[in-house]
This record gives sequence, C-alpha cells and structure tokens, in this order.
Amino acid sequence: MLSRIAESLFWIGRYIERAEATARFLDVHLRLLVEDPWTSEPDACGDLLSLMGVQSDEPSRDELIRLLSDDPASPASIVSCWRYARDNARRAREVIPSEVWEVINTTWHQVPVDRRDRRISFFEWARGRSALFSGTARGSMVHDDGWQFLIMGRHLEQADMTSRLVAASTLVETNPWPAVLRGCGAHDAFLRMYRGVQADREVAEFLLLDQRFPRSIMYGLDGVERSLEMITPARHTAAGRRHEAHDALQLIGKMRAELTYTPMPEILEQLNERMADVQSTCDAATKIISSSFFSVDDLTAWTTEGTR
Amino acid sequence: MADLIADYPTSAAYDEMLDAHGQVRQPYADLYPILAHMSAEELRTLSDSLASNYFDAGITFDVGGVESPFPLDIVPRVLPREDWTTIEAGVAQRVRALEAFLDDTYTHGRAINDGVIPRVLVSSSTHFQRAVQGIRPPNGVRIHVGGIDLIRTPEGDVRVLEDNVRVPSGVSYVITNRSAMISALPRAFRNTRIRPVSGYPNRLLAALRAAAPAGVDNPTVVVLTPGVYNSAYFEHTLLARSMGVELVEGRDLECRRGKVYMRTTEGLERVDVIYRRVDDDFLDPVHFRPDSMLGVPGLVNAVRTGGVALANALGNGIADDKLVYTYVPDLIRYYLDEEPVIKNVDTWRLEEPAAREEVMDRLDELVVKPVDGSGGKGIVIGPFATTAELDALRERVTADPRGWIAQPMVQLSTVPTLIGDKLAPRHVDLRPFAVNNGEEVYVLPGGLTRVALPEGELVVNSSQGGGSKDTWVLAGSSRPPAEQRPVESRTSSLPDNLVAPSLPRPTGVGMDTSHKEQVQQQQQSVDPEEASC
Repeated sequence: MLSRIAESLFWIGRYIERAEATARFLDVHLRLLVEDPWTSEPDACGDLLSLMGVQSDEPSRDELIRLLSDDPASPASIVSCWRYARDNARRAREVIPSEVWEVINTTWHQVPVDRRDRRISFFEWARGRSALFSGTARGSMVHDDGWQFLIMGRHLEQADMTSRLVAASTLVETNPWPAVLRGCGAHDAFLRMYRGVQADREVAEFLLLDQRFPRSIMYGLDGVERSLEMITPARHTAAGRRHEAHDALQLIGKMRAELTYTPMPEILEQLNERMADVQSTCDAATKIISSSFFSVDDLTAWTTEGTR
Repeated sequence: MADLIADYPTSAAYDEMLDAHGQVRQPYADLYPILAHMSAEELRTLSDSLASNYFDAGITFDVGGVESPFPLDIVPRVLPREDWTTIEAGVAQRVRALEAFLDDTYTHGRAINDGVIPRVLVSSSTHFQRAVQGIRPPNGVRIHVGGIDLIRTPEGDVRVLEDNVRVPSGVSYVITNRSAMISALPRAFRNTRIRPVSGYPNRLLAALRAAAPAGVDNPTVVVLTPGVYNSAYFEHTLLARSMGVELVEGRDLECRRGKVYMRTTEGLERVDVIYRRVDDDFLDPVHFRPDSMLGVPGLVNAVRTGGVALANALGNGIADDKLVYTYVPDLIRYYLDEEPVIKNVDTWRLEEPAAREEVMDRLDELVVKPVDGSGGKGIVIGPFATTAELDALRERVTADPRGWIAQPMVQLSTVPTLIGDKLAPRHVDLRPFAVNNGEEVYVLPGGLTRVALPEGELVVNSSQGGGSKDTWVLAGSSRPPAEQRPVESRTSSLPDNLVAPSLPRPTGVGMDTSHKEQVQQQQQSVDPEEASC
C-alpha cells in the first residue's frame, strides 16, 4: 500500500486514541482536584501538564483545560487531536470506508462550542466518539495492512498514555489508585479481578502487565508487536539486509521483557523513571516505523531541497 | 438568586442556609454567591441535568412500576466543621453503646440484671432472635454498618431520631450524589473544601474482611441481595461493584456441613463473609419464615458454628426497637461511662400507665410511632390526623401499649430546595453512616440528607417519595491523617527524562505548509475562471 496512506492511518489511530486518553486523564484529575480539597492547584496542574509533555508558565485549572482540551492552537488538546485525525483521514479518504470517515468528520464538526459548564459531559462525549470510531472501524474495514497500521498507532499511543496515567499516581497525595484506574477505564475491571484489594503492587501489576486488559501497557506493546510482525517483510531485503522495522520489534520486545522480568517492587521504587522508559520506547519505535515504512527519506529530501 | 428567594418564607423551623433575619449563615457563605448569580432557568437546567445524569446511569427509583430518577436537589446541605465533630463523635458513641448492648443482651444480660433496661422489653421485642443467643461473632462486631437518623430542632440542636442497625440503606446515594454534583456545579466545589466520600466502599470492604471467621487468610466477601425487584437493588449492585465482590442471591448460595458456598462455573466456592441486605426473617427458611425464597437453608447453623460471618449480625433488631431507643442514653452511661454526645428526642413510653394517660389526652398534638417500624410506616402525626384516625390509633395503642411510643412534634430544620422555579424551604433529616471494623467506628463525612418534598411534610423517607441532597462537610485547611497517603509510597517529583507524546514527522503528512500551498496552486491552475476572479 502507499506509504502516505499508511502514515495517515497510523496517525489517525494515534490521535483518536490520544483524544480519548486525554479526555479520561482530564476527567479523573479535574474530579480529583475538586474531590481532594487539600491539593495545591498550581502544583498539581503544572505536574499534570509536564506529564503530558506541555509546558506552562502559570499552571492552573483553566490552563490545564485550555492546553489539553479546548485550545485549537495547543497541539496537545483534544480538539487538536480530532483536527489532526480528520486532516489525516481526508488524505486517506479513498481507503477509509465512508462510515468511518463520517464518524471522524462529524466529530470534528460537532465539537461543542460552549464547554464551560458542560465540562464532564464534554469528556464523556469525547470518549464516546473515540469508542464509536473504534467500533465502526473494526466492523467495516478490511483487516489488511492498512488496518494493521491503524491499530498499531492506536496500541502504541495506548501504551504511551497508560504509562503517563500511571506516572500521575506518584503525584497524588491521597490513595491515587481509584483515579488512575478510572483514568484507564480499569476501575471496575480491576475491582472484580482483585476483589477490591487496592495495593500499589496489585494495581501496577494490572495496569502494566495484564495481557487480558485492553488498556494495560503490556496489551498495547503486544498489539504493536503483532501488527509489526504482520506488516514487516519476513525475509531479508534483496540486498541481504534485515528490514529496518526489525529494530522497532527489538525495542518493543526489550521493553516487554524489562517490564515482565523486573521484580515489581523494583519497578514501583522508580515508577516514574520506568514509565518514562516506556514513553521513550514508544517514541523511538514511532521514529523507526516512520523511517522504515512512511518516509522514503531520500525522496522527501529531494523535494524539499528544491523548495527551500 | 435574589429573586429565587425573594419571598422565601421564614418559619418556626431552623433553616440551614438563612437565619431568622434572612442573613446567610456561615457554612453557606461560599456557596450562596454562586447560587445567587444563577437565574431560575440556569438552576432548572442544572437540576434537569442531574436528573438525566441519574436516568442514564440507571440510578432510579421505582414509583408504581415506573422508573424515575432518584430525586437529587441542586442545593446541597452544608454542615460546618464544628457540627460535624459533634455528629461524628455522637454517632460513633451510639454505635459503640449499641454494640455493647447487643453483646451483653445475647450473652450475659448484665444490663438487664442490673436493672438498666427491663428484661421484658428485650424478650418481647419482635426482633429478638433466640437462635443467636450465646453466639459471639468472630471479631465481636455485630453492627458492621449503622445508620443513625438525626434531625435539627428549631433551636439548632442536633438530636437522634432513630437508630438503624439492621440493614440501613441509602449510602450509595451519598456516593452518587457527590459525583453528580461535581459534574453539575464544579465551580462550587472549587470555592469550598469538602470532605470526600468516595472512600466508603474501601472502608466497608476492610470492615467486612476483618469480620471473617478465624483462620481465614484471604476471605471471600459477597453481598447478598433479595434480587432485582428490591427497591434498594441499585445500592446492592453499586456496593458489590465498588468493592469488587460478587453480588449473590439466596439461590446462588448453598450450605454444606456448616460452611457456605456459592455455585460457580468452576464448582462450589467457599464464602466467608456475607454482607446481607435481606431481613432476618427471610434469611433462613429453616429457622425463620419457611416460605422465604430469598434465603439460604442452613445459614443460621453456619453462623452459629462459625463457618461464615454475617454482616450485620442476626438479631440486631432489638437495638433499633424504638422503645429501646428511649433507653439508649442510659445504655451509653452504663456501658461506656460517658454522657451522650447527641441527645434523644423526648419520648413517652406508652407502656408506662402515667405516660400513656398523658399522651392519650394530647394525641392530636403528638407524633405516635410503632416501635418496630421503619420507612415511616404506621406513623401518625397528631395535628394532621382526622378524628377517626386518632380514635383508631387510641384503640390500637390501648390494645398493645408495648408496640408504640409518642414524641412531641418536632419542626425539622429546612434547607432551600428547588420547587418549580423557586427555592422553597423543605424539611430535612440526616442519616450518617458508620462502619465498625472492630477497632474503630468510622463515620462517613456527610451522610444522606433526605428531603420531604411536599410543602410542610415532616415525614422524611425515600420510600414515601422523598428527595435527597448532597451533604457537604466542610474541611479544614490541613489534610486529616485518615485521608493521607503513607509517605513511603510517594515520590512526588517528576523525573527529568520526561518524553512528550510523539508527533508526526515535520515533513510528513498534515504538517507541511509549503506542500499544502503547492496543492492549492495546482487546483487554481486547472481552474482558470476562479483564478481570474
């Protein structure tokens, strides 16, 4: 398939997952700010923003909402995520089933204008739209290579976002796990599996390692690995070189092994650092995937050289 | 809101928001301006969103077979910190005293022998269960969950109206009310520090696990419900879900050789603690009502032999008998050697001839209640009763004086409540919930504030079409130790190697502006007409 289309599909997957994860993240943390009356708002908001990779000079609740949810000029906002998703979808319209395109397009057009007092329901809406996209896409797209790129993007983003939600647990001064679990949509699932015991270890195990729970880091990494294996040419290239995407497989495999075989207490001791490792792995894998499948770097260099 | 409360009537009752001169009371100082800025429509819209939120979540109440959202009013009930300190201490004290009373009554009967409480009163109670005589639960707790109903008198004092130590319900609404209010009025929460209520399921689960029979390391807890048609079924599902335990019906359980098991796809699984939401009478057809379809045959034997723990314990009904209620202050002094922190409402025991005589003369100005009723059933309010009703009551009291008590008519306090598009005073009570884990009695900050929606109505009960309010306990500026996370599990600083979420290649799809311009030019060049204009 066309590299360009593959790239669009990959980023559609990522941005729609990011929109959903950001909505969940904001939903639980804004509630927590309200519910836990002893938190210092600027500190908490500043930390949450840095976790999502956004800088702010005067972090506050309103800044948090502006930068991560509402502001079309902020690349990390939910609104921007949907715009990027739609931009990419427009470029891949001929391969995307029309009902999937319509979900993306109507979502972009329906973004509620007045979100001030409808805060929580906006997040619910955002989550619902992502879910609608996933369901429609799964039910109407042929599960070919394009599909693999789409869900690979989605799984990569999901592993990355779960690692951020887990890292947020270290910032909360009360028992952080109900909020973290809710943020991952894992609250009810976890309670049923672990019968209500909420110790750091059990929750971390669940969110990091449980292969049956669709928002755990491990599930995301597994998904990326599966898709990569399906789309990476198995044999060596004509020149006898290994396909570059094997490096991405290696990275993901290494991260999986580290998470699986590092004793949980050790992970918990340096939870933030470990989660940052997950994020760098996802980022590095993204770069390799881009260069081996999408970029055709020399070609881009050739066109840009003339115009610059 | 100025116009919303323009003709807010003052009455004999204590209003929780406005004092006798129409001034806003201190606890409402932060909330009032927010409400005052809203028009009637805004308030109505918020109120409707609360209702639709509940409807979508299935938090409904069956009224004559029709599902309607559990009524939650938009104006919260705010309790100042000082009041809460008293209530917390008073409720915990009462639960401790009632625990001691139950333990004593089902074992040695000291209080009876010492003449603190008449023997006949206990043995004549319909809730006295001989089956558990002499049985002590594994960790000594019988009241795992207690609900103590409180009211505020016109003078502003808090009094106890009744104790509920059998299967008190309503705590699920405390949790859902808070979460719905946060969605509807986020601004109000930002201005006010309110004690959180979301930790309740954890506390309850810990208390239930602590109640497990000796020798069980990792107890299996279940919630036993009468079934989907029970009016509190929503609460049963919420508690089971938020504790992550199985919600079972009687038919899912089975007793074998003094142990209880649930039937699963993997065979029988041992159950150690049953949080039962089924009344004593229906619990075990072998011991109680033989026609009960809700219970588990053999359960009482399993409890007696220590094979399973029951929460709340069997036979607790003697402690919330309304005649025993009149003795609770004495019981507190007797068992705990303390003065009651919260007083009772004055009460006449109708089995005492002198009291009966006095009450009979004044039936039309008193409230008369059956001693074993709950849910507002059978209560006769003198001033609102017809002569025929009073005559019927007089006959029934004479026939069974042990079955009745009388109380003066107390004007419950009021809180502004949205009725139509106006705020009007409506009477409220408060049911705080206490959880006893055997070591301490925890009182959930707040509780269920129930509202009598008809004007002037004084019987506040959800089974009689009552509403509810979110109950805010104001918090201090420092975090209480109970809400504090253990220090060792916090790292609190972010690492330096934070990675921002990945972005597409700058020259890639969707980011390249020069590419975009080129595409647009392409379009223009094939469309000369448009290019020329």
